[in-house]
Amino acid sequence: MKSILTTLAVAGTMALGSVTAVQAKGQGLLDTIIERDSLLCTGHNGSYLGFAEVDGEGKWQGFDIEFCKALATAILGSPDKLQIIPVSWAQRFPSIQSGDIDVIIKVTGWTMTRDTELGLQYSRPYFIGPFYVMSKTELGAKGIADLEGGVFCVNAGTTVERVLTDYMETNGIAYESLAFEKGEELRAAFYAGRCDAIAGFGPFLSATRVNADNPDDFEILGDVLALEPEGIVTRQGEDDFMDVINWMVSALLMAEENGITQANVDEMKANPPSASIERLLGVTPGVGTRLGLQDDWAYNVIKTVGNYGEIYDRTIGDGSRYKLPRGMNNLWNNGGLHYPLVLD
Amino acid sequence: MAACTTRWFWTDHTFGAAFDVAPNHFGDRFMSQLFASQKFRRTTLQVGFAIAAALLIVSIILTGQRNIADQGIATGFGFLERTTGWPMNFSVIEVSGRSTYARVLWAGLLNTMLVGFLTLVFATILGLLLALMRVSSNTLMKLVGTIYVEVFRNVPVILQVFFWYAILTHLPSPKQAYSIADGIYLSNRGLMFPAPSFSGNDLLLLALAFVALCIGIWASRDRFTATRRWVGAAAIFGVLCAVLLATGREADVPLISSPALKGLRFVGGISLKPEFSALLIGLVLFGASYIGEIIRGGLLSVDRGKLEAGTALGLSSFQINRLIRIPLAFRAMLPSLTNQYVWLMKGTTVGIAIGYPDYFAVVSTSINQSGQTMELMTLLMGGFIVINYSIGFAMNMLNERIKLKGRS
Amino acid sequence: MADAMAPPARQMGAIAWLRKHFFNTWYDAIFSIIFAVLIFWGLQALIGWAFVNAIWRVENKNQCTHDAGACWAVIESRGRLILFGLYPYEEQWRSTLACFAVIITIALSCLPRFWSIRRLPLLWVVGFGAFVLLMRGGFAGLPLVTSEKWGGLSLTIFIFSGVFVIGMPLAVVFALARRSSLPVIAKSTGFFIDIVRSLPLLTILFAAAVIVPLLVPEWLQGSKLMRVVVAFAVFFAAYQAEIIRAGLQSTPDGQAEAASALGMPYWSLVVDILLPQAFRNTLPSTINQAVITFKETSIVTIIGFFEVMASGNAAIGTGEWGNQYIEVYVFLALIYFVFVFGLSRYGAWLEKRMRLGHA
Repeated sequence: MKSILTTLAVAGTMALGSVTAVQAKGQGLLDTIIERDSLLCTGHNGSYLGFAEVDGEGKWQGFDIEFCKALATAILGSPDKLQIIPVSWAQRFPSIQSGDIDVIIKVTGWTMTRDTELGLQYSRPYFIGPFYVMSKTELGAKGIADLEGGVFCVNAGTTVERVLTDYMETNGIAYESLAFEKGEELRAAFYAGRCDAIAGFGPFLSATRVNADNPDDFEILGDVLALEPEGIVTRQGEDDFMDVINWMVSALLMAEENGITQANVDEMKANPPSASIERLLGVTPGVGTRLGLQDDWAYNVIKTVGNYGEIYDRTIGDGSRYKLPRGMNNLWNNGGLHYPLVLD
Repeated sequence: MAACTTRWFWTDHTFGAAFDVAPNHFGDRFMSQLFASQKFRRTTLQVGFAIAAALLIVSIILTGQRNIADQGIATGFGFLERTTGWPMNFSVIEVSGRSTYARVLWAGLLNTMLVGFLTLVFATILGLLLALMRVSSNTLMKLVGTIYVEVFRNVPVILQVFFWYAILTHLPSPKQAYSIADGIYLSNRGLMFPAPSFSGNDLLLLALAFVALCIGIWASRDRFTATRRWVGAAAIFGVLCAVLLATGREADVPLISSPALKGLRFVGGISLKPEFSALLIGLVLFGASYIGEIIRGGLLSVDRGKLEAGTALGLSSFQINRLIRIPLAFRAMLPSLTNQYVWLMKGTTVGIAIGYPDYFAVVSTSINQSGQTMELMTLLMGGFIVINYSIGFAMNMLNERIKLKGRS
Repeated sequence: MADAMAPPARQMGAIAWLRKHFFNTWYDAIFSIIFAVLIFWGLQALIGWAFVNAIWRVENKNQCTHDAGACWAVIESRGRLILFGLYPYEEQWRSTLACFAVIITIALSCLPRFWSIRRLPLLWVVGFGAFVLLMRGGFAGLPLVTSEKWGGLSLTIFIFSGVFVIGMPLAVVFALARRSSLPVIAKSTGFFIDIVRSLPLLTILFAAAVIVPLLVPEWLQGSKLMRVVVAFAVFFAAYQAEIIRAGLQSTPDGQAEAASALGMPYWSLVVDILLPQAFRNTLPSTINQAVITFKETSIVTIIGFFEVMASGNAAIGTGEWGNQYIEVYVFLALIYFVFVFGLSRYGAWLEKRMRLGHA
């Protein structure tokens, strides 16, 4: 008899539990993160060179990881309150739908299906990624058309798979594609010569090239497959959280535009040269509370990770071993596509 | 359930007994006797269990529905009609970026079945060889068999698949391909060999002819001797092929298409892609070590007396193996063999790790591209349940057919 | 009928022994020669590659040409990544200690002295608990390391032992439920077990990782690692339940009848009489199942965990050591081999012992 009662009780609690869970959904993600006191951000299942890679000591580093740190600092005041969850390309959307992670910062292209049918919400682009093709120098290809009939390796479940298909169909080039779940296997296959070319992000390709035994063996072709704006992604309907993300990106850009760096941010805060910088660094009270954050959130972010330019430089730019030019990821006044929003 | 409950309730003897006691204690006594009744306890337990299970399932479904609705995720199987926009590297049927999800998923399922089926066949053959080596009286053969089994059985299959894939992709590029024989090339793009260039229709005709022949052989089994039937069938099949080749062919297409290097790749012939080969080799070598042990167990389970009886009748050791040992052992090992077959079929899912587009890999990519997680997972699990139940069903049929009738 | 055979020849001495084992018939002789050549050639190539021509240390990775022999320097340079994955560098001693705690637990539970229905679970709870506490930290000055950062061999061991600790009791419940005389419970458990057994482990783990959170209330979700371990445990239990069921079936009915005649309660009957015998009778199959489970932990690499297989691949995924893939795979294979071969030899030894009637 006892066992019947127990089973019934368990079943009852389950049913009740589901109801309370639904009620808990009323609370915004931003509040949940603050309550939990940690941010769950994406890593990679292996290494995506330059953006999310694991060093010899098992520490995460890279462009996307820096943005995870910046976001954790903005919300919780410290980059240590960040948990990097390794997920594959294919798992990132199921993971965010299920609540395993709070935010996807994983150079995720802004596409219509994702925006509408997957129940996702995109931030303003924090990175502009042109897709290129990298092939072996020994093949002597000048453009993609010269690789007719070749094997192209791509990351499975990414926009590259579709962009490449479109491009090849439009230009009538016969080819074979080979998709891998993990960056490690993709690179290993390419280095070994299983594919003639890799299609992917410019930065990823450069990183792969630099990482090769002899970088001169590989060459990134001039043809651009497509241009993709990369956004930070969270679940649909988390407007407060999305505000924080957008303004965090904007603050990093604004800091660069105004010459605020990790090194001089304290000085800037002590003697702000303009009223907008006063607002940015939280000297004027009330700026942070509008976002539901501390007033000095942007100061903390810059103090921790530096401005946009510094992050770029450290992870994939001149300060890193990949030495990628800024190109269209520069600020608007340096010939790029990025600009800060107006902080009034 | 309810009707059933009521029926025994009234016929139960405890109830009749309850009427004889004093009316003011009726309720108490009734309840206590009711719970002392085994039938009542049994039924309540089962009804409780069924209700709890039903509640659990309903609560899961409700939670799922609400979570999906909350997040604005589209639902339903409508996406199956949409085109995917991405190509597949390896497929038995024609698939391109313009194929629908339904077709791509079907192609994935076929890929799984292809590699699974070939694995079962080759692993069984190799396993049989290993088992025979391990039970032979030749010490060296035994040693090699034992080393093989210990090495391949004690390393995870996914590691073995990675290993073979790494070996195959580190072969030279197509331009420096090894030429094994005329028209057969081995490179990091796979193994290329010549093949008759039949069209799809030709192949269909041949397949139909083959099926018809099999039926013919079966139907004529009482009229001719086995040798005659097979020779006759082979002759008819040969003539059919010849007629087909003579009549149904297009003018300019050569009979045999040989692979030839053209630009970056080999054109013509058939190629075995490294992803496919590595998965197949890995699964076969791993599966053979297990199947070998199962067959060895079966062989050892055969009563020595029966083998000695064979010797006493003057049968050669080959005849003893073929006529006594293997048929008897086969019956003994069939259940474990079925389990192993199901296991190997399931093992094909590691293909995703090396880029072989098996069913799981295709579903995984589809989930990511279309976002229909629930629907696709349902299709994934359904697919494997169907495949594995079919294996179980086929093996059970076989078991029914071959099991010793009457005395054992 | 065959002719009468000649009396057997005297079979003694080295020549007779050789004859019997290698040259019994003409085709035996051929096989012996072929295999002898094969073994000799294989051993020579292996020793040449792995030891004689191997390079053990390098200042610069370009010294590793992959023609002559193995370049074991890759293990020196990448070994810690392979063994510890993402675990913080300074804290890796904890990971090592934790692994030893579980290995000792496994070793102790192989001793017949611990084979009791009360001692064995206690041993595992203590061993597993020590592992988790050491890995996780967060007390006595040990920094907290959350499970997202666990990796390498210790993650493999965690998954294995977690599956065992959760799966074993679950398997007992499944087995008893399937043997239950109540048809509804027996049938639905049977149905559940059959379904789980016909699904690939990978799909079950994938579902646990990405689907379960959508289906259960938030407070039940736990971390992704926990869900995957529990799902793996259910898979393990579905197989182990059938083994235990076979063990239960092999105990004579008379024992259960005698126990109920003595008025023994059901749980006492199960715990004191049926289960010990069921486990003892099926010990070799149970160990075989443990071996399979240990190997299958490598599957989780596909759903994004940094266990030893994944960290091995990460070690060769950079261009730097990309050509030393054979060395790394051999190293990984050896790690698995040590565990699996040890366990399976132990199982074979037990089986032999039981056949002689000692266990």
